[in-house]
Amino acid sequence: MNKTISSQICRAAEFESLASFRELIDATCTGRAGLDENTVYDLKLAVDEACTNIITHGYAGKNPGSIILNMNVSENQIAITITDFGHQFEPVEGLAPDVQAGLEEDRLAGGFGLYFIYQTMDKVQYETTEDGNRLTLIKRLSVLEEEEQ
Amino acid sequence: MFRNLRVRKQPAKIVPDDRSISVDQLSQDAGLPISLRQINELPNNAQKRIYRSLLPPALLARFQIDPITWKGPGGSQLVGLETDAGAGKTNISVSFAPGTQDDFIFIGLADNAFNGIELELLVLNDPDGKRFDTDRDPTGVATLFGTVRRNLAAEERAMQGGLAPAQIRRGLGGSKFVLDQLDTFMTALGHRAYFLEPLTYVSAWVFERRGFAYVRGHKLMDDIHRDFQPGGCLYSALDGSTPFRQQDQWRTVRGRAWAIHDGILEAIGARWDGLRMVKQVGRFAGVETFPKAVY
Repeated sequence: MNKTISSQICRAAEFESLASFRELIDATCTGRAGLDENTVYDLKLAVDEACTNIITHGYAGKNPGSIILNMNVSENQIAITITDFGHQFEPVEGLAPDVQAGLEEDRLAGGFGLYFIYQTMDKVQYETTEDGNRLTLIKRLSVLEEEEQ
Repeated sequence: MFRNLRVRKQPAKIVPDDRSISVDQLSQDAGLPISLRQINELPNNAQKRIYRSLLPPALLARFQIDPITWKGPGGSQLVGLETDAGAGKTNISVSFAPGTQDDFIFIGLADNAFNGIELELLVLNDPDGKRFDTDRDPTGVATLFGTVRRNLAAEERAMQGGLAPAQIRRGLGGSKFVLDQLDTFMTALGHRAYFLEPLTYVSAWVFERRGFAYVRGHKLMDDIHRDFQPGGCLYSALDGSTPFRQQDQWRTVRGRAWAIHDGILEAIGARWDGLRMVKQVGRFAGVETFPKAVY
């Protein structure tokens, strides 16, 4: 039977809240079969990056509102949905940041958050609707197991 | 796959700006959101059919008001529907008996700039509760819920009588019914969320408990809670300098609300201004900025 575990928290869009989001990921993932430390680290990194973007840009110029973090863990995948009510964003195509460039070179600041998210997650979706901006991150557990074999 | 995100220069409209909506449009797409302005272009009885779903039948039944005809036991019309098509505004008021001074239920809705829907005002008063004249200053001028003028003597009596700021009578205790009904109403109209600006700290706390999140002001609510703890700036500002700033008020939602109504947020360089909340239809955000709160 495919049992899904769900958890959710809602915190203010401020850097102090990042620890709560990491704690939720730990609490939801701890003891789950097929979830190793690396997977949990990837999830925390992706959520950290996404929420940092929301805190820095999404609520820029506003008295910060809420971020809702929702997690659904099933046998095959982990789905994390991050909802905020800040500025609306639109996805744009463009070049990925040059991760090979040295720090002494004129590397453009920023742009690495999404790069890290793409590197660690299997699927990334973004939508803006009346009820908020929603970033969905999917980590497939079966893919992980295959890679480990 | 997108590589980056950029801020939208112009936020998307939830409903197109069409003044009215055709049967063809409704037939083609059952999910098409409808604005209040479009409803208010309909004939009066059609409007009434739609807006009837805003009032919880169980709440009306408590006062023997027919949920369909909106008439009381004596046959008088006790529910008023006021719509303004041009501005996309709708007010529904319910009185206890014909000719009574105050509405005990008032729901004010309006389209916003993006054609989403705002809950502009929600009043739920127990008509059997004692009245406190906090809505008029001593010369009889409206205080607009104490936001532009204050009747300090009436407010002090109201506080001692167990009321929250902006109340003239104790609450009806029906916010869950009305807000559940609003979720259903919004779904019928094809809206996924609605918005409001909480008038007082108590209002914000109540709406948190009913599943709302913050578009603006979540951090302010966290700051308020932190600064009302012993040793915090707001705790220190409860110095007894006015009847609304007594030392033990930090312990309760109502106590904090009266101090905030009295302007205590100046102590942290803030004002009760600009907070905005959102209810995602069918969802419960789970915000709790005052854990284990005592009302």
